[in-house]
Amino acid sequence: MAFLEIDGLRKRFGTVEILKGIDVELEKGGFLVLVGPSGCGKSTLLNTIAGLENITEGEIRVDGRAINDLHPSKRDIAMVFQSYALYPNMTVAGNISFGMEMRGVPAEERQKAIDKVAKVLQIGHLLLRKPSQLSGGQRQRVAMGRALVRDPKLFLFDEPLSNLDAKLRVDMRIEIKRLHATTGTTIVYVTHDQIEAMTLATKIAVMRDGEVQQFGTPAEIYNNPTNIFVADFMGSPAMNLVPATIGGNGSALSVVLQRDGREPISLPLAGAPTGLSAFKDKPIIFGVRPEALTDPEGAERNASNIATADCHIEVIEPAGSDTFAVTNLGGKAVVARLRADAKIQPGTITPLAFNLTKAVFFDPATEKRIL
Amino acid sequence: MSAVATPDRQSTGGIISTRTLNRIVIYGLLALFALFYLMPLFVMLVTSFKTMDEIQNGNMLALPKAPTLEPWFKAWGETCVGLTCAGIKGYFWNSIKMVVPAVLISTLLGALNGYVLTKWRFRGHTLVFGLMLFACFIPFQSVLLPMATILGSLGRFGVTLQNATGMSFGLGNPTVNLVFVHVVYGLGFTTLFFRNYYEAFPTELIKAAQVDGASFFQIFRRIMLPNSMPIFVVTVIYQFTNIWNDFLFASAYAGTGDAMPMTVALNNVVNTSTGVVEYNVNMAAAMIAALPTLLVYVVAGRYFVRGLMAGAVKG
Repeated sequence: MAFLEIDGLRKRFGTVEILKGIDVELEKGGFLVLVGPSGCGKSTLLNTIAGLENITEGEIRVDGRAINDLHPSKRDIAMVFQSYALYPNMTVAGNISFGMEMRGVPAEERQKAIDKVAKVLQIGHLLLRKPSQLSGGQRQRVAMGRALVRDPKLFLFDEPLSNLDAKLRVDMRIEIKRLHATTGTTIVYVTHDQIEAMTLATKIAVMRDGEVQQFGTPAEIYNNPTNIFVADFMGSPAMNLVPATIGGNGSALSVVLQRDGREPISLPLAGAPTGLSAFKDKPIIFGVRPEALTDPEGAERNASNIATADCHIEVIEPAGSDTFAVTNLGGKAVVARLRADAKIQPGTITPLAFNLTKAVFFDPATEKRIL
Repeated sequence: MSAVATPDRQSTGGIISTRTLNRIVIYGLLALFALFYLMPLFVMLVTSFKTMDEIQNGNMLALPKAPTLEPWFKAWGETCVGLTCAGIKGYFWNSIKMVVPAVLISTLLGALNGYVLTKWRFRGHTLVFGLMLFACFIPFQSVLLPMATILGSLGRFGVTLQNATGMSFGLGNPTVNLVFVHVVYGLGFTTLFFRNYYEAFPTELIKAAQVDGASFFQIFRRIMLPNSMPIFVVTVIYQFTNIWNDFLFASAYAGTGDAMPMTVALNNVVNTSTGVVEYNVNMAAAMIAALPTLLVYVVAGRYFVRGLMAGAVKG
C-alpha cells in the first residue's frame, strides 16, 4: 500500500469539472511532481490534498488514513506557497513558530524547534527580521522553514521557485533536492517547469485539462510518452514531431518523411512497434528527440537501429555545450542536437543520423502512442 | 554646455516669463482661496482670546490687544447650556463616551464584514455587499422617524428587562441609543473601506494560516488586523469626524437632558436668548468642540504609513 493514495478524485465547480478522476499514488519518501500547463488543475489538485478546497468525489489517503474530510490543520501536512505567504507582521521566528503556537506547543519547545530548523536552512541570523527585510531567496528559505518545523507526513510545494530569478532557482532546486535526500520526507510538488519536474521527481504526473495524461518515473515519461501532449510538453528543446507516412513492403517497414522540393527520406525500421504495421501507407506522427538526431560521428555507437539521411541545414544555433541544427522535414522545423565542435554549416546538405530505437510513433487521429 | 545655452535663452526668454506669470496667477489664486477659507477660523480664534469690550468696540479681524484665556475657561466650566450653567465640559465627556465606542464598534464590525466578504465568500456575497453599500446613500433625515420608533421599542424592552432581571443592559439610555444608531449607519462605509482593502490582501496568507491551524477569529486577529493599519486609521478618522460632528441624530435622540452630546450643547450655548451674546465664549466653545477631530488627524495621521504589506508576498 502506497503512502499517499488518491482514488478517483473529482472536483466540480457547479457544472464545470476541474478534476476529472485523478488516480495517483506515491510511496513513502517519494517526490511526486504534478506538471502541466496553466489551467490544467495541478494547483487545484494540490489544494484538495491540503484541504484548502473540497473534493466532489473520490478519496485521498495518507498512510492508510482517509484525510479528505479533515480540516487542513488536522491533515499533518505542511505547505509552501508560490508567494511564500509569510505573515508580514511577524518576525521570521514568529512565522516559523506560528503553527506550533496555534497548536499550543510550549514556548520552550517552540524555541528548540526554531533553532533546529534555522540551523538546517542556515537562517539563524535572520530570525528576528521581518519578511520585508529579506531577499527573495531568504523568504523562500523561511517559507520552507515554516513547513519543515512541523515535521509533517506530507510536504506540499505550490510552484515554490517560480518567483525567483533563473540562477537562484537552480540553487534552490538543488537545495530542495538535498533536503529531500537528507530528511527523507514525502513531497508533492506543483510546477509548470518540466525541467524542475525531471530533475526533482521520483514520480511525475503530467496533467492537462483536469486529467492525468501520464503517471510514471521521469525516465518513463521522457522516453516512453503515451501521447503527443506528453511528448511535446516534456523535454527542452521539445521532441520533434514530424508528420510522416509508413511505407515499405511486407514486414519490412520504413518511415517516409517529406522534404521540400526533393524526394522523400525513407528510413528503414527494424524492430518497430507491432502496432505500426496497421498504419502501412497511412499518416502517422514520427517523434524523435533532438539528441536522437545528430551527426553520424556523434551518434550512439551501440544503438541497434541508426539510419542516416541527407538533410538541408537551415539554421545553426551554437548553445555552447551543444550545437543545434535546424532542418525542415514534413513541413516542420526539426531540431538536431550535435556536439559543440561539430563541423556543420548552415545552407549545406549534411548527413544526419536518426537513432530509430529512441523514436516514437503516434496516431494523428487519437494523438496516442502506437505500440 | 553654456555655449549652447546662451543663444537658447535669448530665443525662449519670452516663453519663460509667460510661464512664470502663469505660476504667479495660479499660486496667487490658490493663496487667495486658502485665505478666504481660513478667514472664519481666524476670526473664531482671534475672537476667543478677546474681551467683550474689545469685541464690541474693535475690528473683527484685529489681533487681540490683551489676549486672555478667560473665555476658554468660562466656556469649559461656567457658561450656560439651557438652564444649567456648568460649562460644556460635561457634554464634552458625553460626546467622548458616545463617540469612542461607536467608532471602535463600527470599525471592528466593518473589518469583520470586509474579512468575510473577501476571504470567506458565500453565495450571494455580492448582493450582501451591494445592500451594505446602499446604506451609504440613505439620507439620514429619512430614517429619523422609523429609527425613533425602533429606539422607543428598545427602550420599552429595556424597561421590561429591568423589571425582570434588574438590569436594562443600557437599552433606552440615550448614549447607548446614539452608539447604536451611529454603528448601524456607519457600517456601510466601514465595510466598504475594509472590503476594498482586503480584496487586495493576499489570500495565500489566509490559506497558510489555515494550514497552520489558526481558526476564523485567530486569522482575523493575528493576520488580518495587524496588517490593516492604514485602512484602520483611515476608517477611524472618517468615523470619528462624522460621529463627533453629527448634529442630526444627536439632537433627535439626545437633544435634551444629561446625555446631550457636544454638538447639541454648543448649539444651545450659542442660541441662549438671555443677556448679552458672549461671542468670545461662544467662539471658545466652538473651538473646544472642534479640537478632538483635529487631534485625531494630527495623532492618527502619522500612522498613514505605506508599505506595511511589503514582504508578505514577492515584491
